[in-house]
Amino acid sequence: MQPDRGVLGVFAEVTDAARAVRALREGGHVEIRFAAPAPFPELVEALGRPRSRLDSVTLSGAALGVAGGFALCVGTALAWPLMTGGKPIVSIPPFVIIAFELSVLVGACVNLGALAVGAGRARRRRAVPFDPRFSTDRIGVFVVGGDLPEAERTLRDGGAEEVRHVA
Amino acid sequence: MSAAASAAQGIQAKVLATQGRPRAGHLLLIVVAGAAAALGAWAEWIQIRDGLRVSGLNRPVGWAIYITDFVFWVGIAHSGTLISAVLFLLRARFRTAIYRVAEAMTVFGVMTAGLFPVVHLGRPWFAYWLFPLPNQRHLWVNFRSPLMWDVFAVSTYFIVSAIFLVVGIVPDAAALRDASRGWRRRFYGVFAAGWRGTDEEWRHYARAYLYFAAFATPLVFSVHSVVSWDFAVSILPGWHSTIFPPYFVAGAIFSGIAMVVTLLVPLRKVLHLEELITSWHLDMTSRMILLTSLIVTYSYLIEAVMAFRAGPGTELSILAYRATGPFAPLFWTMVGCNCVFPLFLMGSRVRTSPAALLCICILVNVGMWLERFIIIVTSLSHDRIPFDWWGIYRPTIVEAGITLGSFGWFFFWFLIFVKLLPAVSISEMKEEVAHEVGHAA
Repeated sequence: MQPDRGVLGVFAEVTDAARAVRALREGGHVEIRFAAPAPFPELVEALGRPRSRLDSVTLSGAALGVAGGFALCVGTALAWPLMTGGKPIVSIPPFVIIAFELSVLVGACVNLGALAVGAGRARRRRAVPFDPRFSTDRIGVFVVGGDLPEAERTLRDGGAEEVRHVA
Repeated sequence: MSAAASAAQGIQAKVLATQGRPRAGHLLLIVVAGAAAALGAWAEWIQIRDGLRVSGLNRPVGWAIYITDFVFWVGIAHSGTLISAVLFLLRARFRTAIYRVAEAMTVFGVMTAGLFPVVHLGRPWFAYWLFPLPNQRHLWVNFRSPLMWDVFAVSTYFIVSAIFLVVGIVPDAAALRDASRGWRRRFYGVFAAGWRGTDEEWRHYARAYLYFAAFATPLVFSVHSVVSWDFAVSILPGWHSTIFPPYFVAGAIFSGIAMVVTLLVPLRKVLHLEELITSWHLDMTSRMILLTSLIVTYSYLIEAVMAFRAGPGTELSILAYRATGPFAPLFWTMVGCNCVFPLFLMGSRVRTSPAALLCICILVNVGMWLERFIIIVTSLSHDRIPFDWWGIYRPTIVEAGITLGSFGWFFFWFLIFVKLLPAVSISEMKEEVAHEVGHAA
């Protein structure tokens, strides 16, 4: 996919990159992205993006698992009502175990699906120019739109090893 | 070049070096493990052909070595999720270098454990009866049976552990993809799933990983509790005990971490990972072994105290049978391996000595296998029904072959894994060194 037009700064230190991102935001830049080899929370925090909304999807999956677990147990017990050991046909305590296991199973699978969809869509919408160093030892901060010469200066002042324009 | 970038490059280079062409010794180990797995498959074939009469199962000992193996391997699988999920939520730094090995061990451990209920059936073609599949006669499985809880617990554990492992590998596979050529680049590309390490990917990834950890954490405690209920909800003396769930969970973590160390010590040497998996990691891991050993010892003592407090009767007779009966040598070996030898880990020199640690962990693995054997076999062997009074169980060569085959199967996959995918989390190690360098500066 063709990346947007902007300025890319390459950083060796995460603290420098985070500082540059904050300075860019203070300078009025709105569209700032980065690519990094590790999950640096300070960078994500500096970007000021809202928390991922995977929660609601994942928790809905877990709730679906609980409902599905109880439905499976109760439904199959009623479909073949065999009394054993004098216990009720619909015995809730043992069914809680199946409901719990299915809540974890369905919740985890939905979480995986949500991650795949969310990360895939984000990759297309907020692309950063590819550089193999960004999966090894460097952090790329990419500024899209706005005052690009000013963004270039901020990146250089922030300690970027190299800065280049992406057409 | 900055210190952080240099350290990150070093980590990646070290892990990448483990992914090269396997040496002759590694290939030989894969062949030996594969041969052991093939031997196990052959023994299983004999059992399918001739029936369960080729096993040592008898009346009253209807559960024996296969169920022992099942519980042992599920227990082995436990530490992976504990290290990767529970210690992640507790922000324990020492997990970073070792959790990938533990996670892989979990997945292969559950893959091995899952074979045994099928082997134990004797007629594996009926294994699908364990699952609630729609059928013409509307015969459904009995969800009030602990065996069904086991099916759901172990299946869920396998799927969630496998997802956790594969998701953790994604950023590392991307790093290796960008540093490789040829078929390896394509291979890592499959696991990387298009990963570019952008801010949005990390934002979703961090949240999703937290949820995986949150889901996996109760599984650590629930799965072996469910396994313990296979025994505890029965009315058999020796099995029917309320202490079983915490006792089994502690034992599972104990044996699992011991197996992690059993794998880590040779692995770090062979793959030259001593700088990433340091003595400090071994020290912290062995402290967990010591803690869980003390919990297991406490559980053994509580069982004995409960038997004495109950007075003369079934519980006390089971205890006496275990300690003085025909299985007494195994019982006392178990006590030595699980309660006495781990006490040496109180010494810091032992905790940081890979050779000493390896010896203790192998003994713990032996002890924990014996623990499951003692619980299962002695409780059944000492029966109280007049028509099948007492019986001694001795494993046959077929059962021994299948058990040996399970070890071969486990190590076969593990040895292949460490050569194809990173055994250490590259991205988390990079994050850790970046912060260490930042703090030092």
